[in-house]
Formats: sequence, C-alpha cells, structure tokens
Amino acid sequence: MNFEPKIIAFCCNWCSYAAADLAGTSRMQYPPNIRIIRVMCSGMVHPEMILSALNQGADGIMVLG
Amino acid sequence: MLKNTTIGSVMVVGGGITGMQSALDLADAGYFVYLVERSGAIGGAMAQLDKTFPTNDCSM
Amino acid sequence: MTLCEVTDVTGSAGDFTVTVKEQPRYVDMDKCIACGECAAKCPKKVDDEYNAGTGKRKAVYVKYAQAVPLKYQIDPDACIWLNKPGRCGACAKVCPSGAINFDDTEKIHEIEVGSVILAPGFECFDPGGTEVFGYGNYPNVITSMQLERYLSASGPTEGHLIRPSDGKPVRKMAFLQCVGSRDENLCGNGYCSSVCCMYAIKEAVIAKDHAPGLQTSIFYMDMRTHGKEFDEYYQRAKDESGVRFVRCRVGGVEPQGKDGDLRLHYVNERGRQIEEYFDLVVLSVGLETPKQVLELADKMDIRLTPHNFAAVSSFSPVTTSLPGVFTGGAFSGPKDIPHSVTEGSAAAAAVADILAPARFELAREKTFPPERDILNEELRIGVFVCHCGSNIAGYVDVEDVANYAATLPGVSHVERNLFTCSQDTQELMVQVIKENKLNRIVVAACTPRTHEPLFHETIRSAGLNEYLFEMANIRNQNSWVHTGDKVAATQKAKDLTRMAVAKVAWQGPLENVSVPITRRALIIGGGIAGMSSALNLARQGFPVDLIEKSAVLGGNALHLHTTWAGEHIALKLDSIVRDVATNKLITVHPETEVVAAEGYIGNFKTTVRDGSNRRSTIQHGVAVIATGATRLMPDEYGYRDHKEVVSALEFDKLKEVNDFHVRNSSSFVFIQCVGSREGERNYCSKVCCTHSVQSAIELKKENTSRQVYILYRDMRTYGQREVLYKQAREMGVVFINYDLHGKPEVNKSESGFEVTVWDHVLHRPLLIRADMIVLAAAIIPSVGAKKLANLYKVPIDKHGFFQEAHAKLRPVDFATDGLFVAGTAHYPKPIDETIAQALAASARAATLLARDEITLDGIKAEVDPDNCDGCALCVDVCPYHAITLIENVDNAGEAHKLVEINTAHCKGCGLCQGTCPKRGIAVSGFTYQQLESQIEAALAV
Repeated sequence: MNFEPKIIAFCCNWCSYAAADLAGTSRMQYPPNIRIIRVMCSGMVHPEMILSALNQGADGIMVLG
Repeated sequence: MLKNTTIGSVMVVGGGITGMQSALDLADAGYFVYLVERSGAIGGAMAQLDKTFPTNDCSM
Repeated sequence: MTLCEVTDVTGSAGDFTVTVKEQPRYVDMDKCIACGECAAKCPKKVDDEYNAGTGKRKAVYVKYAQAVPLKYQIDPDACIWLNKPGRCGACAKVCPSGAINFDDTEKIHEIEVGSVILAPGFECFDPGGTEVFGYGNYPNVITSMQLERYLSASGPTEGHLIRPSDGKPVRKMAFLQCVGSRDENLCGNGYCSSVCCMYAIKEAVIAKDHAPGLQTSIFYMDMRTHGKEFDEYYQRAKDESGVRFVRCRVGGVEPQGKDGDLRLHYVNERGRQIEEYFDLVVLSVGLETPKQVLELADKMDIRLTPHNFAAVSSFSPVTTSLPGVFTGGAFSGPKDIPHSVTEGSAAAAAVADILAPARFELAREKTFPPERDILNEELRIGVFVCHCGSNIAGYVDVEDVANYAATLPGVSHVERNLFTCSQDTQELMVQVIKENKLNRIVVAACTPRTHEPLFHETIRSAGLNEYLFEMANIRNQNSWVHTGDKVAATQKAKDLTRMAVAKVAWQGPLENVSVPITRRALIIGGGIAGMSSALNLARQGFPVDLIEKSAVLGGNALHLHTTWAGEHIALKLDSIVRDVATNKLITVHPETEVVAAEGYIGNFKTTVRDGSNRRSTIQHGVAVIATGATRLMPDEYGYRDHKEVVSALEFDKLKEVNDFHVRNSSSFVFIQCVGSREGERNYCSKVCCTHSVQSAIELKKENTSRQVYILYRDMRTYGQREVLYKQAREMGVVFINYDLHGKPEVNKSESGFEVTVWDHVLHRPLLIRADMIVLAAAIIPSVGAKKLANLYKVPIDKHGFFQEAHAKLRPVDFATDGLFVAGTAHYPKPIDETIAQALAASARAATLLARDEITLDGIKAEVDPDNCDGCALCVDVCPYHAITLIENVDNAGEAHKLVEINTAHCKGCGLCQGTCPKRGIAVSGFTYQQLESQIEAALAV
C-alpha cells in the first residue's frame, strides 16, 4: 500500500509562509503532501481549527510561526 | 539663503540600510525621492550579512 | 534607480541639479520575470562579489536571491556576446519574455532636486594589497565578510563551515581583530571601525552553531562592545557559547605543513610566547570610505576628516559642509546598523527642515473609481491562472488547472495568462472584471507576499473592493518545489486553487481604517534630545509642547564641556535654548510632569501637572520620550569618604573653577567602569572612556609634569575618537588595564592616596601615589522612567532604559505606533548620537504629522456581539492593548458585557481569535468560516 499523508500547515505570513516562499525561490524540493494555509500569526490558529482538520481526515497538522 | 523656488524632491545616494531609511521617511512625509544605487539591487552591506545580533535574526 | 552613479551636483540648497549616469542592464526590467532561465543557460562563470569572492555567479545574474528589484542584469565585462557579438546569446534564446537587450546603452539623467542625502556606505579594508597575515597567500586566511558568506545558507557552502584549502570541516578558528583599523603603519587607518568586535563575537557564536565542537578564539586589543545589550552578548559568548577571548596582538601567521594548517604566534596575558595551530584564520577587517565616494566628495567639495569620512559637527551630525547636502551611515564615520538607520531618519529630518515649504508639491497619490456595491449580488468568482512563462507552466498542466477551476462552485469566469502580473494583463483584468461583473477574484500564481498589493490595486481600478481577492500560491509553494512530479504538482495546484476559491467566497468588502491625526507633537524632556527634536518639528511647521520637569532647559548637557571633537557645548546649548524659547510653534512647560496618558496613534491625550500643582490636558498626535538619564553615586573607592575622590562631572566642575585640589595635585588616577559592566548593571556607559581621556589630555596640556593614570578594562574610544586615545598616550598619559576580578584598591595615605592595581605588562602589582582620584561613574536610567513607561504602556529593558521596537531596524520607534524615543532615555550615548536620534524621532513623527489622517489596512479583528459574552480572555493576550471590555444595554434594558476593538491599535494578528472559546472575535479576511472552508477544501478530495 502506498500511504500518502495529507498534511495541513498553518503558516505565519511574516515568517514561515515567507520561508515557504523562499524554499521555492531556492528550488528546494519536498514532498507534495502539504497544503499551506496562510494566517497573519500562528497565534490566530484556534485549537478547534486543528481538531476540525483532523476530523476531516488530515493526517498531520503543522502550526508554524 | 534659500531661493523662492524650493524643489520638493530629494536625491538619496546609496541604497543601503541608511539610504533606504532616509528614502522611506521622506516619501512618507510627502517628498518625492530619487533613490540612486550603484549596483543592480538595493540592500547594501546588510544584505550580505548572514544573521545579526542580538537575536541572531536573519538580516533579510 | 539601480546601476546609477552620481557624477556631478550643481546648484544650491533647495535647487540642485544632479547628473546621474545609468549603466546599461541589458535586461528589460519591465519584461524580466526573474525566472532564472538565462542564468541557467549562461556558460560564463565569474567570481561573485556578493559572496565576497567565495563563490561564483554567471555573467547574467541577480545580485542575490532576495534582491530588490528582483531583475536580472548582465555583467558587461564577463558576457561573451557583449565582448564578441554573435558568439553566444544563449540567454536571449531561452528568455521566455524576450527581456534580453544587448543593445542597451548607458544613459545620462539630469535630475532637479531640493536636497541631496549622501549615504554611500563603506567598503571593507582589503588585506590583499599588503598581504596582511598572509591573506591572499594562504587560502585558509579569510576576511570576516567572507566568513559571513560561508556561514550563510545562501552562501557558497550553504552554511557549512569548511576550509577553503581542502574542504575539511573547520575545528579550530581564530579571529584577528583590528585588521585595517587602529593601525597607521599598515594601512593609514588610525581610527577604530567600531563594529568589528561585535561582528566577530556574533560570527564566533553563529559559527559554533553551524559546527558543533568548533573552538573559536578572538585575539583583540580592547573589546569594544559599547552598544545597547552588546556587553551582555559578549558575556553570553564567553559563558554560554565558550568563545575564548585573548587580549594580545598576534605577531604573525605562518603555514604549518602542506595541509593548510596555520600557526599563530603571540605573547599571552602572562607574558609567555605562545605558538598555536588553527584550521581557519578570520581577519576582522575594518571599514573604509570607497574610492569613488572620495572622488564624488572631492567633486562636490564636501569636507572630509583626516580619516576620509564626511566631516560633521556633533551638533548637526548629518549635515555636511555643503549646505543642502546631508549624510548618514558609515560615510560620516564607521558605525553599526541601528546607528545607521537612526542617521537615515535623521538625514530625512534635516532635509525636511529646509524643504518643508515644498512638502506634497511633487508627491502624488493615485485615484480610483468608486467601489461597486456587491452585497446583493450572487457569487461571481473570476479565476486567473498564471503560466509565469514556464515557471508554472513548465511543471504544472495549467490548462487542466484552469478547466478544473471552471467547475468549482461560484466560479463564473476563468482565464489563463502568460504573465498575470504584466502591465497589459492588468488592463485586461480590469476589463474582464467589468464585462463579466465579477465580484470575487482569485489569482493562481506566485506569492501574495510580493504580488497581493499589485492585484489589490488592479481590482480597485475595476471598481471592486480590494479585499475581494485571494491568491493561490502555485509557484513558490508548488511548481518550484515539485519540479520532478508534474502529476502531483498539477493536483496540488488544483487543490490550492480550490482552497482559494472556497476562502474568497466568504470574503466581504473591508474598509481600510482611517485615523485622523492631531497635528501636534508632545515631547517629554527638555534636554538636548528633546530640544533638538522639538526644534526640528517646529521648523517643519508642526506645533510642539515641550515638557521639562525641572525649571530650566538643557538637561545633562548643562554639565558638559566639550564634545569628543572639541566643540564647546555650553555656547551651543545656549543658542539651542534660545531658539526653543523664541520659536512660536514650541510651547515650553517647565516644572511639569506627566500624570496620565491615554489614546492611540494620531490621538493621544496626556494630562500634565505643573509646579503649582495645576493639571491640564494636551492633545497630540505623536509623542517623543526624551527623559534622559542620570549618573550613579558610587559607593566604592572611598568616594563617599574623601573629597579628593570625585566623579568625572564633579572633577570637570572643580577644574573649571580652578579649585585648589586640582591646581595643587601632581598625580591623578582615573578609574573607569565604576558601576558599569559589573553585576546587574552589565552594560557599558559608552561615554566615559572618551571623557576621561579628554580630561587627561587637558591636565597634561596645562602641565606636562603631572602624572596622569587611566585604569581601564577596555579602552572604548570607538570610531574616530581613537585619535584622542593615541594623543593621550603620546602625551605620556599612562594606561593600565585591570580585570573585573582584580579591581584597583584605593587607600588613604598621609600624602594622599595609594592605588594598587595589577600591571599586565610588568606582571606584578603596581603602587601608584595619587592626589586626586576621578571615578567614571555609570550612567543610569532617570528616576521617572518606569512610571512614564507604565503611563504610555511602553516597555523598558531590565536596566530601566526604554526599549525600542526593534534593536536593528526600528531604533527610535516604540512598538506602539506614534510613540518614539530619543537620547539617553534609550541608552547612554554621547551628544552627536543623541542629536541624531532626536532628529530621527522627528523624522519618524513627521511621517505621521504630515497628514490629516492615516490609512491602516482593513485586516482587523471584529467582534461578533451575538457570540461574545465578555469573558475577556482576549483582553490580556492582545499584544497591542487594542481590546477593552465594555457593557452594552440592549433594548430590553438588560446589560451585556462584551469586548470592543480599537481598530487603530489592532494589527490583525488574531491572537484574540485563537484564544476565544466562543467564536466571539475574528480577524476579517481570516475568519473561522474562511479558515474552515480552506481546511475543508484542502481535504475534500
């Protein structure tokens, strides 16, 4: 079986989202399983959002800030 | 000393951290700014630095 | 204007004509999309100056990956085609947007301006010319700038610290300080470069992070870490990072064996000759004024110091000798980043001083059509999918994505563009939006961080509210990072587009917040900082209230004699006080203190109490805190017991009145760092070394037979102040270094005092007979600082000095908008730096006062009154104090608690949203609904 996890990443606009952009500029390669959601601060991410994502089938959550 | 026709624009020579700060403050205060930089991009010496004291923040 | 050089300046203040020579870029800036295809194909490699010669770049290149403007350029010296037309041209063939233009030519511009600021910066001393310590001969001797590049993730080794000679990991590294500084024999640079001690410590600490187990040693003469928080960093480097500091001058560096090892020999602190081996030797190179800057200064007739820096007065630290031409940064003397940023703002203030009548004469603001009301329209989403040349289309099936987007709910129009950001596409977008009555827009392209403002403007031009917009980042976060898997990248692009569509569907129009500005400044503190700031603002035409708690203006400067460069302070202070008193726009409030403060940017209300206990309220748009500092009353070295043991300021007074103690003394001992750099007060008071050296020189000048000793820990005569240190030594002032754990001892004797101190040169205790002892007492925060900090809700650091918003980039701003700090209230500093900071505070304040109102973006927290029950959990987490708890009375007369947002304070960070247990508060544009719909869309397939 090929397991392809679905990972949701909440990225802060000012740091980790910018870092994800820079990874692109630098052509760093990583697996395509991550879906980034931009937030204005990682502190904005309510615990309910994380539970909701897990409920809907996300295999992993990253909150980056 | 000043002539009657004062021109409301400023030339800032140097696109390093000092020149950029001057240009931003002048533009925000209502002056037209020409920022002149010798090389192909602004940023100056600070853009070459890896990280800066005290927080070891990335200097970008 | 990049690739431009000023070749000539004519005219006078208010009306200059500047000739600017623009070098050809050979790449059309409007067409270049920075995809990098050209550089990938370019066959020519040359040394990269951005990497200080440690790496290579192509003949067509961007200076660095994050360059602004992010546009390629061709190096005409290296390019094959430009040297032999017809021979290469690979870049022109592969460029997807046809941006390469080999026929580009040099252009000359003549530009009329009212004023000029020269901020040309510095270049590093080149140790190659004289082969200092074998630089140029031994590959493992490198400069500090080269080390920066080796340590950088964007550098030639991606941050791996290896020896240039053989690529072996570095285990032992030495820094040699003062290369190209404090050394007239080698390079003629007698001055101190001010920044090298600190950058060497920083590099040593960071290098240890990069290479665990690395041993780093710094060989130095004096550790000059005189800036804010510098000494603490120095201490941490010693204690926590294990950086070794060796006070000595290294005699020489020789190769050891054939592998590239280096042998250093030096005399250690115990007087022994030592040989030690290192993998890598880093030369901490000093700062110099670049040659082309000297030529320009010569042409413009701008006076320079003997060290080739722009000559400025301590009282006007950013004003050159040519009226109307100002300066800042390293051109007026070597300095660090925060000081340069401060001077950048200060130069802006100085310009505004003379150009204020022409404010807003040339600057123009763009106008937009009225916004269409879309609230009652059904959802009509337009999706624009960008090819970005081949940047996206090369790795993603863009057509498939576009077709898929058309099937998404709410989408009524889909387009594909070669470059969605290009000027012609913007015009097309406006048309398409209007024709199809689109009311939400999604652009699937690059990153909102660079392109959202552009598209906001575009849809505003189409009569839409700018926030009815979302980007799907299918380039930086997709096509560029999954270049090997087109199927997966295409699928991800579809997912990202679906997420953006789902989010934008819930987006309503947002209003930018407009805050009126009370065009009046409050300045707290009538010292040299407060007065300089007040005068500058008044000259720019803004009314100022200046509050001083004592009866007279002048502050600490009333006790000072001359600046480090020998300028008379009392005379200048008199004229500043007179200018303040006679300026009609400045209202001075003597014997007045702040008792209460409220409000926010543009709208502060401060209550003050005057000497007769009368209270009044001042309305102001901005405030500058310039409350100064005071001095420590020492309780060591017999200060409290003997009248011949005095502080530096007291000594100045006694000397001025020709007191008999001073007149009759033949032996003087100055003790430095009394209360500074020890225990809790681990910071440098910055001005005392220079002050004592100046006093010593004066004493020697009056009578050369006097014995003058200065007992110091590190002699911190930074920058061009170093000349004073040299002069004092030449005049016979005796400098003796002491350690914190071997402090001098002072004992009263029959004929005066006996001072015992360990002599590091002779390696034995030294007994000095002294008639007078002068203590360099620490500068400490003023008494009222803490109270004032509480009133304005601004932070102070652990020593009690006011804490700026960012140590490097916002040195005069507080984190709270509209409040600024200047002078010794921020940290001990000399007059020139105080005035620069005061002018900078005025410049920053003027960016607000110049307007009737300021516009803040619409991304703000919003309260849902149905859900908020006033639990107030959000109130404490808000870092901007933007939330208050209020009570509403409903129609039935019942009271309900809930919170209220001050939109001027709110920065839209959403900490409240993350905290609220009831969904009672959310940030517009990032609501629970929107984030949830994104999550749902992400996981839908």
